[in-house]
Amino acid sequence: MSSVWLPCGDYHETYSQDQGWWQTSLIRFKMISLLAFVFIGCPWALPEGWHWIAYALAGLGVILFLVKIIANPPDFKGEWVLYPFVLALFMLYRLPDYYLSVMVMIGYYGMGALGVQLLIGYTGLITLGHAAFIAVGAYVSALMVLYFHWPQFILDAGLAYPISIVVAGVFAGFWSVLFGLPSAKVKGFYLILTTMAAQFITVDFILTQYVAQIGGRGQAFSLPPGTIKVGPWVIDSDVKIYFVMAVILTLMVAFVANLFRSRVGRAWVAIRDNDIAAETMGINIVQYKLLAFFVAGFLGGVTGAFWLSNTAALSPEHFPWFLSLWLVGVILIGGVGSIHGAILGALFMVLITESLQWSVIPLTDYYDEVADTLNPGQLKNILDWLVPKLLMDFAYIKDMVFGLAICAFLIFEPNGLSYRWWQTKNYFNLWPFSY
Amino acid sequence: METFVIALITGVLVGGIYALVALGWVIIYKCSGVLNLAMGELTLIGAYVTLTFYTAGVPFIPAVLLTLVVGAVLGYLTERIFLDKLIGEPILAVIMVTVGLSFFLKGLVEFLWGTDTRVFTPPVFSIEPITLSFLKISPVYLWSFILSIVLLILLVSFFKFTSWGLSMQATADDETAALSLGVSARFVYAASWAIAFMSAGVGGALLGNINGINISVGHLGLLVLPAVVLGGLNSIPGAIVGGITIGVLQNLAGTYLDVYFPGGVKEIVPFVFMTVFLLFKPYGLWGWERIERV
Repeated sequence: MSSVWLPCGDYHETYSQDQGWWQTSLIRFKMISLLAFVFIGCPWALPEGWHWIAYALAGLGVILFLVKIIANPPDFKGEWVLYPFVLALFMLYRLPDYYLSVMVMIGYYGMGALGVQLLIGYTGLITLGHAAFIAVGAYVSALMVLYFHWPQFILDAGLAYPISIVVAGVFAGFWSVLFGLPSAKVKGFYLILTTMAAQFITVDFILTQYVAQIGGRGQAFSLPPGTIKVGPWVIDSDVKIYFVMAVILTLMVAFVANLFRSRVGRAWVAIRDNDIAAETMGINIVQYKLLAFFVAGFLGGVTGAFWLSNTAALSPEHFPWFLSLWLVGVILIGGVGSIHGAILGALFMVLITESLQWSVIPLTDYYDEVADTLNPGQLKNILDWLVPKLLMDFAYIKDMVFGLAICAFLIFEPNGLSYRWWQTKNYFNLWPFSY
Repeated sequence: METFVIALITGVLVGGIYALVALGWVIIYKCSGVLNLAMGELTLIGAYVTLTFYTAGVPFIPAVLLTLVVGAVLGYLTERIFLDKLIGEPILAVIMVTVGLSFFLKGLVEFLWGTDTRVFTPPVFSIEPITLSFLKISPVYLWSFILSIVLLILLVSFFKFTSWGLSMQATADDETAALSLGVSARFVYAASWAIAFMSAGVGGALLGNINGINISVGHLGLLVLPAVVLGGLNSIPGAIVGGITIGVLQNLAGTYLDVYFPGGVKEIVPFVFMTVFLLFKPYGLWGWERIERV
C-alpha cells in the first residue's frame, strides 16, 4: 500500500474509515510529528542528566528498524519505526524563551485569523470588526476572573480561568450575532460597514468608556500575578503561556476543520459561492449566516480570553481597529479559504516583523560606528535623522511593511501562501514523476 | 432653543467639510467601482502636507493650493502603482488593497510627522468668535464651510461642464460604451483618484484647523462612510446631503446625548445611525438599487 496516495480500487468499507482524518500512513506520520513538534519539540527538553532517555529511545528505534527489515511482520506498519527517532530528537532540544514568546504571538494571530477565515474565507461575509469580539472575550474573561464570586473548590481546582474562557466565547458569540443581524438584509460592502460599526461601538465606546472604568482604576485592568490559573498551574512563564496557546489553537483548528467537513460547513461554502443559488437549494441563509457569526465570535472570544494569560494588564488599546484589519490582512497573505492560510499568514507576518527588527538593530549599530567617517553633507544629515528614527519609530515601519505586504500579495499572489504550500507539497508527493 | 440652533449651525458647518471628503469617496466609487477604505489616511496626508507648507512660511490659501497639487500627484501615483493592476478583480481584493494602502499611508504619516498633536502656528483664523445676536460662531467653522462649499461647487461644475468631467461621467455610466467613444478608462481612474486625494486633502487641512492635527483626523475621515451610506454610494447630491446630515447629527448628539452617555458619544453616533439605517434602507437615499439574479 502506498504511503502517500490511497491506491486505486481500495474502497472504504465503513463510515469511520471514510471519515478518517489521516488516511495514509504518510499523512499520519506528518500530523503526529507536527503535534509532537508543537507540544514536545518547541517547549520542552529533557533536564540535565536525563538525556539517556532520548538515546534509549533512539536505540529502540534502531531495534524496531532491524525487526522491520529482518522479520517484517505483516501487521507492522513501516512508519512506526520513525517515531522513536522523532521523539528522541524533540526531547533533546527546546526553543529559548524569546522564540516561545514569538510562537505565542503567532498562535494568537492564528487564532484570531481562524475566526476571520471562517467568516471571510468560508462564508463570504467580509468582516472588518473581528477585534471587537476578541476584546469582548478578553473583557468577559477578565471580569469573571477578577470579580465573580467563585466557590472555593473551583478556585482550588484552578477551573475559574478555563470556565471563563468558555463563557467568554459564548458571550462574544452572541455579541457577534447581534452585529451580524444586518447580514440578513445586506451583503458585500454594506456588511463591511456594519462590522466596522461593531468595532467602533464595542471597543471605542462601550469598552473604553464603561467597561474599562469598572473598579475605578482608570483604563487598564491589572491582573495580579497568580489570578490566571489552569488546574494546578499558575500561568506565569513563557513556557506555560505557550502550552495554553498550543492547546487552545490545536483544539480550535480541529474543531474548525471538522466543522467545515460537516453539513454546516458545506452550507457555508455554498452561501459563499452563490447565496441565491444556495437559497434555492433549501439552505436557510439567514440562519447559517448568523451561525457563522456565532462561531466566529466564539472563536474570537476564546482568542481574547487567551490573550489574558499573555498580558499583565488589559486595556481597550490592545484591540484597535487596526487589529481587525491586521487579521484580515493575515488571511489574505496566508490565503483565503483555507485553515493553513490563517496559520501560515500569522507565521509570515510575525516572522517578517521580527526579522525586520533584528535587522534594524544591527543597522543602527553599524551606522553609529561608521557615522564619523562619512563626509559631512546633505546625505549625512538625512542619514543622521533617518537611521536612529528607524529604531525609535519601528512600530510605524511595521505598519508600512504590513500594508505593502498586503498590496503585494493581492497583486502578485492572490491565492496566498497556502497555495504555494499546496504546490510544494504536491511536488514532493508526486516526485519524481510530477505529471 | 439657543443651544439647539448653535448645535445645528455648527453641525452644518462641519458637515460641509465631511461633504467635501465624501464627494471624493463617491467620485472614486462612481468612476472606478473601488470602495475606498483609505479615506481617513488621505485626509491625514492632506492635513500634514498643508501644515508642512504652512510652517515653512507659505500663507494658508496657497498652502491649500499646493496641497491640491501634491494630492493630485499622489492620487495619480497610487492609482498607477496599486489599483491599476486590480481592475476586474473581486471586490474583496480591491477593498483590501485600499486597506493595505491605509496601513502604509498611516505608517508613513506617523513615521514622518510623529504622533503628537500639531497645530497651525500662527493660527490661520482669528480666535475671536463672530457674534450674531445670541449666535457665537468661531471663524474657523465659517471659513472652512465657505471654502469647502466653493470647492464643492468647483468639483460639481467640473463634472457637469468640462470634457474631462463628462468623460468621467460617461465611464461611470457605461464603461464599454465610453471606451468605444474614445474615452481612456485608465485616465479616468487615475483622475478620479487624484480628485479624491485632492478633496480629502483639503478636507483634512480644514479639519486640522479646528482641533489641531493628529492621527484622530484620520478617524474623522472615516466618518465619510456613514455619510455616503446615507446618501447612496454613487450619488453626488447624496454625498453632500449625507455629509451635512452626519455633521448635524454628530453635533446634536454631542449636545444632547453626552449627558446620558458621557464620553465619546459624538464619534459613535454616526456609526450607530449607519447600522440602523442599513437595516431599513441599504441603498441609501439616492443610490442605485442592484437587482441580483443567479
